[in-house]
Amino acid sequence: MNDSLLVLSIASAVVASTPILFAALGEIIANRSGVMNLGVEGMMLVGAVVGFWAGNETGSLTLALLAGGFGGAGLALIHALLAVTLRVDQTVSGLSLVIVGGGFSSFIGTSGEPSLLSAPNAVDVVPFFPEALRDLPAVGPILFGHDVVVYLGVVAVIAATWILNRTPSGLSLRAVGEDPAAADAAGIPVVRMRYLATAIGGIGAGIGGAYLTIAIVGTWQNGLTAGIGWIAVALVILAGWRPWLALIGALAFGGLNGLGFTLQLAQVDVPSDFLKMMPFIAAYLVVIAVSGNPARARRLAAPAALAQPYAREAR
Amino acid sequence: MTSLIRVEPRGHAGSWVRFGVPALALLFALALGGGILAIAGNNPFEAYRTMFDASLNGWSAMSRTLALATPLILTGLAAAVAFQMRVYNIGGEGQLYLGAIAASWVGLYLPETTPMVLMLGAMLIAGALAGAFWALLAAIPKAYFNADEIITTLMLNFVALSLMNYLIFGSQSFWRDPRRPVPGGKRLPENAILPSLSGRLHFGIIIAVVAAVVLWWILRRTSWGFQIRTIGDSPRAASYAGMSVKLKTLGVLAVSGALAAIAGVSEVSGVSKGLEPRAIATEIGFTGIIIAVVARSNPLGVVPVAVFLAAIATAGSRLQSIGIAVEVVFLLQGLIFLTVTAGEFFVSNRVRFERTAEAEQPGDSSPTTELPAGAT
Repeated sequence: MNDSLLVLSIASAVVASTPILFAALGEIIANRSGVMNLGVEGMMLVGAVVGFWAGNETGSLTLALLAGGFGGAGLALIHALLAVTLRVDQTVSGLSLVIVGGGFSSFIGTSGEPSLLSAPNAVDVVPFFPEALRDLPAVGPILFGHDVVVYLGVVAVIAATWILNRTPSGLSLRAVGEDPAAADAAGIPVVRMRYLATAIGGIGAGIGGAYLTIAIVGTWQNGLTAGIGWIAVALVILAGWRPWLALIGALAFGGLNGLGFTLQLAQVDVPSDFLKMMPFIAAYLVVIAVSGNPARARRLAAPAALAQPYAREAR
Repeated sequence: MTSLIRVEPRGHAGSWVRFGVPALALLFALALGGGILAIAGNNPFEAYRTMFDASLNGWSAMSRTLALATPLILTGLAAAVAFQMRVYNIGGEGQLYLGAIAASWVGLYLPETTPMVLMLGAMLIAGALAGAFWALLAAIPKAYFNADEIITTLMLNFVALSLMNYLIFGSQSFWRDPRRPVPGGKRLPENAILPSLSGRLHFGIIIAVVAAVVLWWILRRTSWGFQIRTIGDSPRAASYAGMSVKLKTLGVLAVSGALAAIAGVSEVSGVSKGLEPRAIATEIGFTGIIIAVVARSNPLGVVPVAVFLAAIATAGSRLQSIGIAVEVVFLLQGLIFLTVTAGEFFVSNRVRFERTAEAEQPGDSSPTTELPAGAT
């Protein structure tokens, strides 16, 4: 039964959802502090190339993910400098990260002898749970068949929810995103909070990118995220900036990504190009559906100061 | 406190500042790029020298650059017209593909005996309509449900890319040449190909420059253009003044989509001479966004900026001969985007360093004014 189509496709959806989840969680934290960062795709690519390189050098999954997180955070801090300190248009700044991240990762990935493009994956990604659990019918492959990063994703969801709702720093962060002037008056360091949240956003995207290249794709290819970063940006809106809903949404998008694999196994003949469109059509439709429903839009409201720069002197 | 950085908004930046800051930002981006090249073990001076020779030195180099600038001017205009109204059309890439698909369909479908002017005219119109339609898929939800156009236009890019790939790689469609062993588009007949001006440079450059002038005139001299800019400055004031923001959103995005699509028409008709996804999907639409930002959404500014970015892109293939990855082109374009964006802060704000507390009373030559609308 563990070889059945349904079980295999759910298990593959869980893995495919992991990079989307990490990137979306990071973006939720950044957004909650009032910083809109559209550069997720670029940060994922930098995280991916740095992570893949580090994995190749060391053979360690931990170091590869750490390096990926650092790479994403490095790019995110450029956005923080532009968006928080220099107060430029956050949309434009975020888009510039996409282009810089894409260019930088392709350049690094193609340069050098031999280049990363031809490098095999040196990191062993092993299942986390013992075989006895993995062999359980149905729940084995779906719940226990994955590597440690998949479970870290769930831990990150719990941690993000707890931090945002239950800790003083989380409340401060949200205050900065809702009303920076009031937060400032209450003594919360607005600029520092926003830098920190933006950097966490970059770490999430970077880890997501590193995991994507090492555990899912298995090689480095220029532009290998192929829109996953943008799916994460859309997912944050759909999830109404809530980590739990992002988890569910990431699973749904992971399922759409894995749909091709499933249909192939089921011997249903759907052109692969149409399958590739699916997540993007879904994101397009759901963004419209969320916007078109005022009741839902109120309940899942964006942080009030999202994408608004804060200048103390302009108060 | 011994020293203090003081930031004051400028009421109105003089033209020296408005042009000088982006120029400095450009140089800074090239310096950063040079630094990265040096760290990667290349000689940056040799690299820039090679780039200059490959793209600007002499007429044949220049004509290659202008050939590449042609679609970039059009996608730059597409992004610029939307920016004028503070609408973000990130979908130029997909609209370009739709233009290429529609124009190549018309070129292959109409009889080969159709007069060239009619044929090219029909291809341009069909392409523009297809691009406008693709943009409206995002504009209608934006106007009526306030759906974020950044996300919707972007998602539609990926849909359009898969659609174009399907037509050539995934199926035996009308566009695909069944006789070629490697999947590719049918070649357009001679009367569907934009005439060459010199080498690779073709008639499309004239279309692009005329489009820039016409768009500039529309934005500056017509009431439609005035309303677009007013809505961009203050949507609320504009709707109090009786302007229909919804209809303008549809109109601006349709025009923007049509312009990006004409870039696609120009590419299939003037360069690839058939629907060739690999030749068409080269981030021309995304580069248009950088161009519009650097040109500060001014249609006439789009032309020189597009030529400059085209010069960088043209040099890419030559760089391989001295052992530098082509991808450095995207890195440089991104760095330019980044530094010019950062430079906007210095255009709209004056930064001074003050040493003592007495300097709290700054020179009276420039009173601190309110931020101009949209300066942040």
